[in-house]
Amino acid sequence: MMNEAFTCGDHGALVSYLYDECTPGERRAIAAHLVVCGACGEELIALGATREQLAMWIPPDAQLGFRITPETSKANVLRPARWWRQPMPAWAQAAAAVVIFATGMMMGAVRGVMQPADGGLRGPAVVRSNTTVASNTANTAAITRADLVALEQRLRSEMSQTRATSQNVVASPADARIFERVRVMIDDSEQRQRRELALRSAELVRDFDAQRNVDLARIERTLGQMDGTTGAEVAQQRQMLNYLMRVSQRGQ
Amino acid sequence: MTLTDDELVARSIGGDAESFNELIMRWERPIYALAYRVIGREEDARDVCQETFLRAFRALPGFKGEAKFSSWLYRIALNLCRDWIRRQRRAPVVQMPEGVELSELAAERGPVESIEELVGRRQLSAVVEEAMTLLPEEQRTAIILKEYHGMTFQEIADMQGCPLSTVKTRLYQGLTVLRRHLEKNGVALSRIEGVASSKVAGQMTPRLVKR
Repeated sequence: MMNEAFTCGDHGALVSYLYDECTPGERRAIAAHLVVCGACGEELIALGATREQLAMWIPPDAQLGFRITPETSKANVLRPARWWRQPMPAWAQAAAAVVIFATGMMMGAVRGVMQPADGGLRGPAVVRSNTTVASNTANTAAITRADLVALEQRLRSEMSQTRATSQNVVASPADARIFERVRVMIDDSEQRQRRELALRSAELVRDFDAQRNVDLARIERTLGQMDGTTGAEVAQQRQMLNYLMRVSQRGQ
Repeated sequence: MTLTDDELVARSIGGDAESFNELIMRWERPIYALAYRVIGREEDARDVCQETFLRAFRALPGFKGEAKFSSWLYRIALNLCRDWIRRQRRAPVVQMPEGVELSELAAERGPVESIEELVGRRQLSAVVEEAMTLLPEEQRTAIILKEYHGMTFQEIADMQGCPLSTVKTRLYQGLTVLRRHLEKNGVALSRIEGVASSKVAGQMTPRLVKR
């Protein structure tokens, strides 16, 4: 606390008076001193003028506008789903099922054709494998083509129902354009998948035919070998008979 | 309805980021001005300003309301300025304007002041800015907090961690150095006075201007 009686040269008190942060009693005491002391009065005026000049100092304008953005908002950013995470269309699932089924059937048929030719040469492990394949084929064979056709029809009807529903929901021309574009993309994709399926099927049929031809050739070769063996044995028996007849004729 | 700082702080602590953004909008200009006047570089002052609010936001749960929110912000900003000055290990560099763009100045101010007045104001601002660089950091900070942010002696003492009497001494010594420097630039000041408005010239002490 400053003394009520001001002492000349008390800079702290002068600063308090300058910034008007003193008690009324202190203010009165300093004011009374300033009337009689020219040096203190002049200094106070000079300090006041300096303060006024300080008011002229204006910082340059700056683009501020800072904002706090919580980090959790990052989790709310919507990102497009990756293609492998998108759900597979029903028709694609059905097509995949048909391809797998057809492949299984063909493999089973190929194995069935090949088994008589070299079945005797196979070891135990291979035999167990064949047994598994045979059982799988038997299980798969339980699903008939009619079942698959029915499944496909059901999926298609569901898809058409979904399309009809989505068409009813369309609210704006922009949405309709988007739906139309998506529909075109789906149709294109479906056609592409169909072409690919047909191509794969043709390849499988071609491979199957080639394998069948190979197997038939092998069977024919095996049969020929058997024929050759039989002919040789007949000739040998014939020679034996001729020899016996010659020996018996010598004895007579 | 305008919410007080304390209400906005309470909402911010409760997780309302928008309330804190309101506080930023309210205080970013004073904090930037403080940083600019202490360190003297526009870009660094912006960085300090940004960092001040970032630190304040992170430390908000620990803010107990014992001091005013603005005082707390000023303290953070001053600490950052002090760190910046320590890193620089030299006196702050003042960006003195090489030339004055009259059109730019005319765009900044309203039509009340003439271009000559604006030029005079800008030049006087540069002279004051230069003079402030002569002061030790403690005196400069005390004067800035008092002159431009209206803090009381006690608030400055709390901010600077020193006795009240030390604050008064720093203010007196700082003002005296500034006064002498400005007197030495009396020629420049009288030139400014010639082009500045009567208001600006009237605020100057005749003794200073005419020397």
